[in-house]
Amino acid sequence: MKLLRCPVNGARPVSEFVYGGEVREMPGDACTDAEWADYVFNRSGIPGVKIEWWYHVASGTWFLAKRDVAADHVLQTWLPGEEVPE
Amino acid sequence: MSDETPSRTSPVARFFRAGEIETTDVRGMPVVVRLGPDDASRAAVAGICDLSAFARAGLKGPGAADWLRAQALPVPDTPNSWEPLEGGGRVLRLALSEFLIEDGPRGDAAARLSARLCAGIPQVYPVPRQDAAFALTGTRIGELLAQTCNVDLPGALAGTRSVVLTQMVSVSVSVLRDDNGGLPCYRLWCDYTMGAYLWETLAEIAAETGGGPVGTASVLREGGLG
Amino acid sequence: MTARLPVVEGEWIDRSRGVPFTFDGQRFEGYAGDVPASALWAAGVRVLGRSFKYHRPRGVLSFANHDVNTLMQAGARLNFRADVEGLEPGMALTAVNTAGTAARDGLRILDRLSAFLPVGFYYKAFHRPKGLAPFWENVFRRVTGLGRVDFSTPRLATPKRYDFADVLVVGAGPSGLRAALRAGQAGARVVLVDENARIGGSLGYQRGGERRSRDTLVELEAAIAALPNVSVRPGTLAAGWYADHWVPLVDASRMTKLRAKAVVVAQGVFEQPAVFRNNDIPGVMLASAAQRLMYRYAVKPMHVALVLTANAEGYRAALDLLANGVEVAAVVDLRQRADDEAAEAAVIARGVRVLHGHCVFEAEARADRLVAARVCPLDDSGEPRTSHAIHVACDGILMSVGWAPAAALLYQSGCVMRYDTAVEQFVPAKLAPGVFAAGRVNGVHDLEARLLDGERAGAEAAAWAGFHTDPVPAVPGLTSTPSHPWPIVGHPGGKNFVDFDEDLQVRDFLDAAQEGFDNIELLKRFTTVGMGPSQGKHSNMNAIRILARIRGQSPGEVGTTTARPFFHPVPLSHLAGRGFTARRETPVHERHERLGAAWMQAGIWLRPEYYREADRPKAECVRAEIRAVRSGVGLIDVGTLGKMELHGPDAAAFLERLYTGRFAGLKVGMSRYGLMTDETGVVIDDGVIARLADEHFYFTTTTTGAAAVYCEAQRWNAIWKLRVGLVNVTGAFAAVNLAGPRSRTVLARLGTQDLSRDAFPYLGVRETEVGGIPARVMRVGFVGELGYEIHVPAQYGACLWDRLMEAGREFDIRPFGVEAQRALRLEKGHVIIGQDTDGLTTADEAGLGWAVRMEKPFFVGKRSLEIIRKRGARQTLVGFELDPGSSAVPLECHLVIRDGEIAGRVTSVLESETLGRTVGLVFVRPELAKEGTRLEIRVDGGAIVAATVVRTPFYDPDGARQEPEHE
Repeated sequence: MKLLRCPVNGARPVSEFVYGGEVREMPGDACTDAEWADYVFNRSGIPGVKIEWWYHVASGTWFLAKRDVAADHVLQTWLPGEEVPE
Repeated sequence: MSDETPSRTSPVARFFRAGEIETTDVRGMPVVVRLGPDDASRAAVAGICDLSAFARAGLKGPGAADWLRAQALPVPDTPNSWEPLEGGGRVLRLALSEFLIEDGPRGDAAARLSARLCAGIPQVYPVPRQDAAFALTGTRIGELLAQTCNVDLPGALAGTRSVVLTQMVSVSVSVLRDDNGGLPCYRLWCDYTMGAYLWETLAEIAAETGGGPVGTASVLREGGLG
Repeated sequence: MTARLPVVEGEWIDRSRGVPFTFDGQRFEGYAGDVPASALWAAGVRVLGRSFKYHRPRGVLSFANHDVNTLMQAGARLNFRADVEGLEPGMALTAVNTAGTAARDGLRILDRLSAFLPVGFYYKAFHRPKGLAPFWENVFRRVTGLGRVDFSTPRLATPKRYDFADVLVVGAGPSGLRAALRAGQAGARVVLVDENARIGGSLGYQRGGERRSRDTLVELEAAIAALPNVSVRPGTLAAGWYADHWVPLVDASRMTKLRAKAVVVAQGVFEQPAVFRNNDIPGVMLASAAQRLMYRYAVKPMHVALVLTANAEGYRAALDLLANGVEVAAVVDLRQRADDEAAEAAVIARGVRVLHGHCVFEAEARADRLVAARVCPLDDSGEPRTSHAIHVACDGILMSVGWAPAAALLYQSGCVMRYDTAVEQFVPAKLAPGVFAAGRVNGVHDLEARLLDGERAGAEAAAWAGFHTDPVPAVPGLTSTPSHPWPIVGHPGGKNFVDFDEDLQVRDFLDAAQEGFDNIELLKRFTTVGMGPSQGKHSNMNAIRILARIRGQSPGEVGTTTARPFFHPVPLSHLAGRGFTARRETPVHERHERLGAAWMQAGIWLRPEYYREADRPKAECVRAEIRAVRSGVGLIDVGTLGKMELHGPDAAAFLERLYTGRFAGLKVGMSRYGLMTDETGVVIDDGVIARLADEHFYFTTTTTGAAAVYCEAQRWNAIWKLRVGLVNVTGAFAAVNLAGPRSRTVLARLGTQDLSRDAFPYLGVRETEVGGIPARVMRVGFVGELGYEIHVPAQYGACLWDRLMEAGREFDIRPFGVEAQRALRLEKGHVIIGQDTDGLTTADEAGLGWAVRMEKPFFVGKRSLEIIRKRGARQTLVGFELDPGSSAVPLECHLVIRDGEIAGRVTSVLESETLGRTVGLVFVRPELAKEGTRLEIRVDGGAIVAATVVRTPFYDPDGARQEPEHE
């Protein structure tokens, strides 16, 4: 089973986490209805490095992860509000 | 209507049948001191004991650590660590900025804190604690942990004042390592409503491992509760 | 007459303990430590099983669980591998896949009919006539089964456990032992596993007639035993490799899921058979099989042997035979010249004839056992010259022509392999981080080199895991080529087997390629090579060689198929493990149990569905509970509700964003319904939001939504960064609902709170004491009667229940369960999220548009609801009542039909005693939503019942029950 490193709790089996989707920017009020529908219903299926929300259930910690979704390799994890590591 | 002090009930109260059980009362909650004549030998191998009765207080928020210091309590410096209190209690730092304070058999820090903790303290958010709390002890308790937890608890907790927040048999728990006269001993806390299931599951494995439920006399040093 | 040898040094058997057993009804005796196949072979039994398709007699081939010639059934135990699983006293073994016994299989006629059963025949035959297909299916099921299931076998589940190590070493042969030793000396916590009953691997049985291997083994065993940080686990299989070095270790009693920081794969190689006509006759076996028979079980494998080889190991195997009293009639070397002169010289010195550049053309059988071999010289193109055949009498042929790597774990970890022509074997080209290969699986074949390679791998693995140690020098180059690139001899009569499990001959591959299945993946699936119980361990390599020759490619270009877990079969009992089914109980659980609750699942919670009364059916009990609430007072445990505390200066603002309604102006001491939608405008949760102070809210969620609401709300605030603190107190509070016209009276008995209409209005909330217990009390109306929801700290839940039941006794207070509650709320037309809404229902469709306040600048789902409102609703939830005297009552999800089209669907329905009619909620097209519209609902069986759209609430439409004028 894959390990995922929570920034607060350290490396844990992935069963201790909940996936929260790719980090996406909510379009502003000025966007068209079509742009809003795209934001709300569509997700990116492109392989590559994505930034994702992840939640450690036992401690209630939300954090961010930079993950290469094709190789399923997590590059970095950090807490929201912290600087994005290189 | 009755003027009696309302009674408190442990989440695992119903698993103790009257009979050979010796109990005492801790602030309105019956606590099992001894389950039977074999308690000590069971605890030496793989004992599980219900400590839900102790007083607890909880808080979280950006201002929680400072507020605790202002109450003259020791505050663990690093996330997921604990500090002892006089009288057998503890202050746990859960993850980054949440704290659990528990009173031991003597000591009343948590009880006093509960009275002071209320809504309206800036950046301090009270967390009501109604935990199911157990102690696990014995030479073979590692076998029980190995069957129920996907994290190397003995490895992670050996020789440290660390706290591990993880899951055992699908239940979110906080775990730390305690001292029980040289026997391996672990304390764990979980949500009240998961307590019965967790107790039943761990007690079954403990029994298979040669131990089983025990009273507090086999777990608490310095005279325990009785 | 036994073929048991005198005591062999290092033998695994204990001659002081005899073990009686039966095979196909016949009695035999072996020793403790034997496997059934060794005991049978020692007793002179040669036919140990029958092949899958042609029912040919089979004996020992690999003797290592790399083939299933010796697959048996041991009582109720299926899939018993008699070549590796221990013999136990009283075992009653039977051959599988036979009509009768292995010795006299009634289906052996199929061998004569083989011409009609070519490769893939079942893809083409037996389909027509279609009506006969079930008949043929029946025939095949009986003819091809590999055992008979005993349906009375008890269900077993063995508890799994987890384990942790710095370095896992898989395989305890010379390389693995050295790797474990080195890593252990570096200080790492090492786990060394080997699937065999004892460690040592080839050191135990590939002795070449000398002492060196055995002495090395004894030395390594002692050195490892001296290291307390090395855990040695024989009889343990590493069944696969999963992400981040997660390896299931399977032994006889359980599965252990081990997490390592580094893994050394030293699993060695599978010896491969030579392919010639009748290479499956009992007596024809792999050289290593003969060596295992001799050195593990002290069994003489044959009397007169012919050794077919293409490497130095074959000569060493010949020396092993000679050392144990087997006559070696000849060594037949496929090569023109040997490359290990020392081994060849030693064999010749013993008077053995060595024939270079020859092959075995075919084997001859009589009475189902080998009697002779026909040996032919090879011409310049490698073809046999049958005109010059030599007849060699023998009762055993050893095949030592090559090996294929046991690289399954390497493949699973993402290792890239390449074909190395120097060793004629696939070897690792690029390993995954943290995975190391050592020994023969790494293409290293000489013993000294293997030991060194193991040491190197152990040092590297220890370093990877953080235990630094001196580097180990590189391994010296190869001195001989172990595998032959083409150990295959064609024959016009066929029966030259490539895959013994699936009965596949050389021509099957040629036929498959000719039909177009000439890609390795297609070839595998059409021929089924490698799909038998041994999963290609002894057959894939030759299949690749054949396909390579057909396509004119190298084996590397042809490639391999994916080796998936598990490496060997794993019992279902181990996979089942101990079942952990989490459940949540409210603090009042034990009281319900005592009151005779009939339990139901609500998510992972247990809730009372209703309370049983002796001799009364469920429906009657439920009706009695409903009556109690409507006319007196009832008590229900609602402790499963999600409960949240919200603090902070931005608390109201936070709620305004999260919910569709307005909460900024909610007065302290009052509560309000809260509706939550997701970003698409779909209803996902609802609850009651109470304001306890300016910056303190207490709100509830649905039972099943609590965890998700808390989780998602925290995520939203990580984005919004409002100054709030959210606490999930679902399990920290017990909650009950006291409902009915008498509820106020009962509550008044338990505290000093003023319960009059002005002091405690509908939807009010008060922090007070109930029965001496600190409580939050809310006036709610879910079930349509005067009622109070009381929340107390969980530890007081049971006590609260007791005190309420006691106080209500004189009013015949009655506990009521979920079934009654659902009926009561339906009589009021209240919507239940998830019952009357689904994954696409928007707020307007559910009739909850009144809870949506679009004038707010933002809330989750607002923009989507704007768009949806522009588009117009597609359906509306309305109330209906059935015509009196209806023949049937519809169920949830029964459809509304209009003009032959689906026009709606029932979501809730109730035969209401209170109302004296059947009512419910139904989705209909907007044009049918008008009060008075007639509906036709189709029930089970196709009948139609008539209903009318009516206004909700059905019961007490003016809400008078919330404000009774007198008590």
